[in-house]
Amino acid sequence: MNYVGQTITILRKDLSLEWRSKERITPMVLFVLLILLVFNFSFELGGAVLSEIGPGVLWSAFIFAGLLSLHRTFASERQNETLDALLLAPIDRSALYLSKMLSNFVFLLAVQLFSLPPFCFFFNLSPEPPLLLLLPVLVLGAACLAAVGTLFAAMSIHSRLREQFLPLLVLPMMVPALISCIGGTAEVFDQTQRFAIGDQVEIFSDGLVTHLQMLGTYAMVFNALALMLFEYIVEE
Amino acid sequence: MRRHLNVLVESGLAVLMIAALFAVFVYVPSEREMGVVQRIFYFHVSSAIAAFVGFAMVFVASIQYLRTRRENWDCLALAAAELGVVFSLIVLISGPIWAKPIWGVFWRWEPRLTSMLIAFTIYVAYLIVRSYTTGSPDRTRRFAAVIGVVAFVNVPLVYYSVNLWSADQQLHPREVELAPAMVQTRYLAFAAIIALFFYLLKRRYELEKLARNVERLDADLPLH
Repeated sequence: MNYVGQTITILRKDLSLEWRSKERITPMVLFVLLILLVFNFSFELGGAVLSEIGPGVLWSAFIFAGLLSLHRTFASERQNETLDALLLAPIDRSALYLSKMLSNFVFLLAVQLFSLPPFCFFFNLSPEPPLLLLLPVLVLGAACLAAVGTLFAAMSIHSRLREQFLPLLVLPMMVPALISCIGGTAEVFDQTQRFAIGDQVEIFSDGLVTHLQMLGTYAMVFNALALMLFEYIVEE
Repeated sequence: MRRHLNVLVESGLAVLMIAALFAVFVYVPSEREMGVVQRIFYFHVSSAIAAFVGFAMVFVASIQYLRTRRENWDCLALAAAELGVVFSLIVLISGPIWAKPIWGVFWRWEPRLTSMLIAFTIYVAYLIVRSYTTGSPDRTRRFAAVIGVVAFVNVPLVYYSVNLWSADQQLHPREVELAPAMVQTRYLAFAAIIALFFYLLKRRYELEKLARNVERLDADLPLH
């Protein structure tokens, strides 16, 4: 089997497991909603301040939910004692990384898409067409988090720090991506609100493009690093 | 012979540091606008450079460890990371002492401060990860090396992105024209801090190697 075939096989395994059990996406979506609920007690989220603190709230919720779930990337393989089998299989180690990263990417993006409608609903963001611009921000943001998260999740299953391992490393490492996720989202919310009251909107404003470029760079750099370094993490 | 050399190096370092202290507190005139508190800058800037030298050394030593698997590189990475953290702590403490009278606040979320803080947290996390077992020392060393590489690549990305976000624009003085006495003092303080950095690095590195030798000898002993 070639490299792409190997990657797709493991990816399909993980996706069909999740399709049947839904044990990662469901709790994550609920978790995002709960965080939004808690934030609602601290800030009055609707209206004018939405584009100021809304994006930060939304991405905090995404990243916390992601952190909880990312630990399971390899932890579930370990619980079922299938990790050794995966490592013994005659496949490239970086293909293992790639498939795990892609499945995490799919889960994270799914969670974001599922929790966006409730966010708009509870915080009075009318879903006008400019909101579609959020899609590239979500896709690239999920790609960044999946890359960093998968790399460190492969370490977290061995560390005595256990669940504390991931937040300790992922949060500071994600700062560059997070800044652009929040910045890009703020741009999109701003355009959406302006569209709703009939103002002129600017598709792909300079700010949004800069943030998307930053996210793209970050995702590429970290995926390249992870592909190179992954074999040193899983070697036994 | 080696002992004599050590004494020589240590006395040289002591002389250099006393000279730097003398220059900073006595020789150099106070800055016209900021006054006496500006003198902190001589240690502040040098420590920031020393911290980044430490982080860069973690990066190089980590790559070398993954390539060669020689434990010495791992000892070097650990020593450099610890010193990087210590010197960035000096930066993060001396900065606000200067900032309070000049900016009126201890802290502003300005690009360089924020970047330094983030780098500091990443390398503290690196040290925490190292101090918890992962089941085998070899594995811990490999994990540490991977983090050491990734963390350093992240530093320029952090700096760039924080600039992109920054609410407060760049507040650090750029291209300041210094009086000759100030320039001399700056170079002297820089030399003293960098010499201290490398001296501590050498001592910490040797200590780590000794500690690991003891551990190995201990493991070879029959059960006590």
